[in-house]
Amino acid sequence: MANLSRFSWSLRNNMAVFLHILRFKILSFIKTTFEWKARTIIRGIGSLIVFGGFAIVAYYLASEITEFVLTKTRTGLYLFHRFISMMLFVFFIAVNLGNIIVSYATLYKSTEVGYLITKPVSFTNIFILKFLDNFLYSSTTLFLVAFMVLLGYGSYFSYPWYTMLGFLVFLLIPFMFLAACLAVIILMAIMKIAGHWGFRRVMGGLSLIYIGLIYFFFKVSNPIKLVEEVNKHYPHVDEYFMSLDPGFLKFLPNHWIAEFMLYVARGEIGHALPFAAILLGVTAACFVVCLVIAHRFYYKSWLITFQMQATVNSPRTYERIRRFDFRKPSKLTPELEALIKKEFFQFFREPSQWIHLAVLLILIVVFVSSLRGLRFAIRFAELQLLTYLVLFAFSAFLSSSLALRFIFPMISLEGKPFWSIISSPFPLRKLYTLKLLIGFGLLGVTAAVVSTFMNLPFRRLTPEAIYLLWFGLFSSLSIAAAMVCLNLGLGGYFANFQEKNPIRVASSQGATLTFLVSLVYLVFLVLIVILPLSRFFEAAFIRAPFNPEGLFISSVILGIVSGIAALFGTLVGLSSLKRDF
Amino acid sequence: MIELKNVTKKFGDFVAVDNLSVTIKAGEFFGFLGPNGAGKTTTIKMMAGLFTPTSGEIVLNGFNIVHQPVEAKRTIAYIPDHPFLYDKLTGREFLYFAGGLYKMDKELLHRRIDELIEQFEIGDWVDKRTEDYSLGMRQRITIAAGLLHNPQAIIIDEPMVGLDPRSAKIVRETLYQQARKGVSVFMSTHSLPVAEELCDRIGIIKNGRLIFCDTQDKLNVYKQQYDGKFESVFLELTK
Repeated sequence: MANLSRFSWSLRNNMAVFLHILRFKILSFIKTTFEWKARTIIRGIGSLIVFGGFAIVAYYLASEITEFVLTKTRTGLYLFHRFISMMLFVFFIAVNLGNIIVSYATLYKSTEVGYLITKPVSFTNIFILKFLDNFLYSSTTLFLVAFMVLLGYGSYFSYPWYTMLGFLVFLLIPFMFLAACLAVIILMAIMKIAGHWGFRRVMGGLSLIYIGLIYFFFKVSNPIKLVEEVNKHYPHVDEYFMSLDPGFLKFLPNHWIAEFMLYVARGEIGHALPFAAILLGVTAACFVVCLVIAHRFYYKSWLITFQMQATVNSPRTYERIRRFDFRKPSKLTPELEALIKKEFFQFFREPSQWIHLAVLLILIVVFVSSLRGLRFAIRFAELQLLTYLVLFAFSAFLSSSLALRFIFPMISLEGKPFWSIISSPFPLRKLYTLKLLIGFGLLGVTAAVVSTFMNLPFRRLTPEAIYLLWFGLFSSLSIAAAMVCLNLGLGGYFANFQEKNPIRVASSQGATLTFLVSLVYLVFLVLIVILPLSRFFEAAFIRAPFNPEGLFISSVILGIVSGIAALFGTLVGLSSLKRDF
Repeated sequence: MIELKNVTKKFGDFVAVDNLSVTIKAGEFFGFLGPNGAGKTTTIKMMAGLFTPTSGEIVLNGFNIVHQPVEAKRTIAYIPDHPFLYDKLTGREFLYFAGGLYKMDKELLHRRIDELIEQFEIGDWVDKRTEDYSLGMRQRITIAAGLLHNPQAIIIDEPMVGLDPRSAKIVRETLYQQARKGVSVFMSTHSLPVAEELCDRIGIIKNGRLIFCDTQDKLNVYKQQYDGKFESVFLELTK
């Protein structure tokens, strides 16, 4: 009885402390978000316009794609929901991976944790606060986007809006929450193992396992093979081809959502509900497991970070003269050498930077190598156009995501030590140009490689696909240049020199706004190229000669639009450097 | 030489620095004092090019900081009150980085860094990342970085904060020697004894206005009007 009453008191006390901290966090958020300052109000109105515009575009795109795939290409409900399942898998991986990296910074490197740990607050409370903070901070924009996409999807089936809100609240948010819970469990395991084996080795091993799993998923649930198998039953594509599903699929949360949506679309609610129940049950169980692990291990793993840092940061490590050592002679001018080496060390000594880049680059390699298997067994001009547009949009989206993640935070990451450059005789314009070139080096090469590999399979379709290859290269480089300029410029405008965590900078309100501006620009580009590309595939379909004039004109328009975007970004960025520091 | 001519800085309606004029000659050690929020750091930040003055002129060794920023900054060393360093660099790397920004020749830079490491007694930890440094360690690295290129003027904000007695002594001696070598030193501080010990001239700012600016001799006359202590003069002036 005494134990029970002590437990009850402890629970009440913990809850009271938790709510007390939460109250002040909410208060701080409200005060900083809704300041009555001209700049904040303008930013708020700008956000509203861009978010609103983006929401409408997301709604119409989802609606049109659903209509196009189900009506025009007659893909069938089963296949369409399998595609949704694959997209959800990628989404799950993205949320999971993002949370592993961001959680490292919020749970282990945050000054707020350092402060709270010295106060009479339980470690579990601190963990829950930071975990929720992290999840809500990085996912709220996704909720909006997901809701609009769901509305667009639902409009095809004439579902009312509140049904889609239910989908969001009871399916998609738990789905993302599950990904986040798994992420922190993995992270705490990493910290535990890294204490023995070293952080780099564990991260390297984990990355390989992760990539292996993704490769295994797409190898087993091969979308091209699936399309071919389903099309053998054409026109009966609306049947439920469960025999085509690999057995492991039923254990994956993306499959549960896809199955739920498929059964609802088929009007079989009774079959759908168990999938939602499984998802909610597993998510709740995972959160409980996460709390139990955190209760036992969070503080211990927090202490391990100090041990790891001390091992990495011993003077002996830096006494040896290495390739990029400042002490070595250099052919570069002194100021250029100083800045390039500083950028290099800042990037490669920050795990959340190099690990994220390495994982993304490996995923790009996996994607590029999988393009080799792209076949065009179905000679259907609209499907080929759709394939090309999806790949075009994907590569553009990739540029925009890379730019947001790595270019946007570049100015903010100068942080408070930026005084050392501003007060030096080094012109800030040169610093800005250097950052632009570094950004374009990263993005330009990646975009050119992806574009080349993306266009190669189309050469099997028609010899005139060489036009596509040149168009692809030109457009990808233009997009990369525009993305770099836009992200660096707006990154400067929205610079937050207090924030040391690059991922938090890349998921701030300013970053979200920049991302949405980029997406509006990308949608505009897709609209520019859709007509000449459709002519190209129609000509290829009837084996008629193709007149490249249309493609050339749209390339010129694309170049001009990209140039305007780049110029706008650069002007904003340069003027932001003139602000008081 | 440092010249501030009718310098004003406004943040919206708030006037942080109000029509400030002062000239510090070569080899002069100037102490800049004032209560919290008086405008000391704002003045210093304008001199370092971190803030743009709303009106007035700041001329550093003959170069206007607004119109000829590169030339002006080449002749000065700015040492901020909060010595923020790039976390992922070691102290030694930061010194090379700072020297590079002033286009220093590599050989000369090697030599200067070795000299300063010895002078500031930072050899034991200069090859550790700065994220592990204490405030005093950061301050010593920042001051060493400022002196690399042999500046003609040093603008230093609260140099003694966070320093242990030994570090404080090193910094005091270094600044004093620099002034004797002909370098103009503009030092903001809250430490009245330090100002009395080092400065040739002292300025006191309150609410953005310079309310006192004179030599130690004149200050001594003022002190006699009270109880002979600088603290009493300061408290009376800034009341």
